[in-house]
Amino acid sequence: MNNIIKIAFRNLYRQKRRSFLTIGIVAFGVLAVLLFSATAGSFKNVIIGEITDSMLGHLQIHAEGFVGALDNLPLDRTLDAKQIKQMENVLDEIPGVETYSYRILFGGMLSNYLESTNAKFSAIIPANEDKVVPLLKERLKEGKFLKKGEILLPELITKGFNSEIGDDIVLVATNADGSVNGQSFKIAGVMESVMGPTGKYGYIHFDDAKTLLRMNKAQISEVAVRLTDFKALEKVKAELNEKLGTFKNEKGKDIYEIHTWEDLSPFYNIAKMIDMMALFIKVILIGIVLVSIMNVMIMAVYERTKEIGSISAMGTLPSKIRLMFVFEGFFLGVLGSVIGIVVSLIAIYIVNISHLTIAFGRNSNILLQPEVSLAQIGLTTLIVIAVSIAAVMEPAFKASKLEPIKALRQN
Amino acid sequence: MSLISCDKVTKIYKMAEVQIRALSDIKLEIFSSQFVSFVGPSGSGKTTMLNLFGCLDKPTSGDIRVMDTDIVKLNYVERAKFRGEHLGFIFQNFNLIPVLTVYENVEYPLVMVKSLPREEREKKVLSLLDEVEMLDQKDKMINQISGGQKQRAAIARALTTDPKIVLADEPTANLDHDSAYKVIHLMKKLSRKIGTTFIFSTHDPKIVKEIDIIYTLEDGVLVNRQEKK
Repeated sequence: MNNIIKIAFRNLYRQKRRSFLTIGIVAFGVLAVLLFSATAGSFKNVIIGEITDSMLGHLQIHAEGFVGALDNLPLDRTLDAKQIKQMENVLDEIPGVETYSYRILFGGMLSNYLESTNAKFSAIIPANEDKVVPLLKERLKEGKFLKKGEILLPELITKGFNSEIGDDIVLVATNADGSVNGQSFKIAGVMESVMGPTGKYGYIHFDDAKTLLRMNKAQISEVAVRLTDFKALEKVKAELNEKLGTFKNEKGKDIYEIHTWEDLSPFYNIAKMIDMMALFIKVILIGIVLVSIMNVMIMAVYERTKEIGSISAMGTLPSKIRLMFVFEGFFLGVLGSVIGIVVSLIAIYIVNISHLTIAFGRNSNILLQPEVSLAQIGLTTLIVIAVSIAAVMEPAFKASKLEPIKALRQN
Repeated sequence: MSLISCDKVTKIYKMAEVQIRALSDIKLEIFSSQFVSFVGPSGSGKTTMLNLFGCLDKPTSGDIRVMDTDIVKLNYVERAKFRGEHLGFIFQNFNLIPVLTVYENVEYPLVMVKSLPREEREKKVLSLLDEVEMLDQKDKMINQISGGQKQRAAIARALTTDPKIVLADEPTANLDHDSAYKVIHLMKKLSRKIGTTFIFSTHDPKIVKEIDIIYTLEDGVLVNRQEKK
């Protein structure tokens, strides 16, 4: 076996320029895959992090049917005291859940005494919200975070109203029974808008919402949940589905519905598209490796036909001749992968130290910090090696099936 | 008992609509340790004869037994094994592997065909390189040695598996007279020393003088057998 490997490796030196070009093409393909995966992955993770940590939380629990009617923000599809209690019991016993926060979502009318507009609000408990969505505070464009009696206004409404921090504003809302109530708030801050279902909402304190909406009993529209490990999202969701799924209403339907950020944010479709593009680049890599290595090996078999004839005449078994060519293709793949990985790591390092930023939506300063995992490197290498071996199979079989007498006659 | 026996061997090549009779009704016997040559003009069937003995080709009709094996009945893999086990080959163009050194070329059949352990291989290869006076060239690549040296390395490679028969197709055709003469003498010396039967084809009259048994072929027909006393 060692001799087969030795001959296969030395065969790469026969046509140095051709071998170098093939290895270079494979390395370029590996570079394209790893650099794109790392950069696009970095962009994706930054945006997902912003969405989950500044607004949605990792996953959310609502009363059944609430998300379907999200545009209306129905106050009759909320969780009551008993449902909150049994949900708390479930959340507290799942180890993957780090913390959670309650919200009341509602629509209302804002007035600065000169003009009025419709707006949507999320009523939060600031201390809890800070733990579940730690980047929420960073969305404050000006002012300070929320206290009772204060309001955080979306930036576009603030601009439209020509309002300033400290101004009074009146919020009027209709409660679940249909009665209308109004309350005056002091503007504490201006919130930056972000992409997503509640990205342009204003914020008031949870207790203020209960007063405004005349909620005498415990009532919430949304529970934002933060996990100890974001990667365990699907696992925790499945656990929650299983445990909360046991609670049914009088009609036998689920009481709770659970959604991850993927279900709630439109960015999920962009993330999917990024994944599709990464897959597409991998398919291109497969094509590059397949065509370049097969081409080189077909030429190698053609050029070495006489030599194959002589080693076959000496009694070399077809399986060994086949193996010799398979190893040659394998080495082309391995060398291309190794060079591609090294160049990719250098390129990723350069991007990282360059502090490159890109603009996306209203966010004009997304810092790219590409990183590549060992799993990604391993998978790419595995693909390249597997495709290299697949590419060499046809020429290798052809070489092993050559009749020595015909092969020896070739000039 | 004969080492090779042919009986009514005929070989016809079909090229499109044309049939070429390369050998006709050949009957002969070759015995152990002989130094045999097939001579004749180009197209007389010398190479075809060697190809049949070397299990590289099959006759259209007739029987060929090599070392008591009916080689006509062997399949592709069995023929490869038989060649590796019992036959050695020397080619007109040497056909050494260019990416290997002289030593590695001679060692090649022991690794790829016989799978001998390293120590045994080393002993065998060094001994053969010594026999062909190539020990000092053992670490050179093939493109660094002369034609005569290449053919001596090829002789060592052919003998490395201790074959009973070495088949050499025009082994001196690409060599100058001096080198050719040395190569023939070397093969004759080794044939005597280790008892290997050398069968080769040639049309070089100077070389023919060194041969013990000469079979003359003309248009695929065996016309003469001449044995030196």
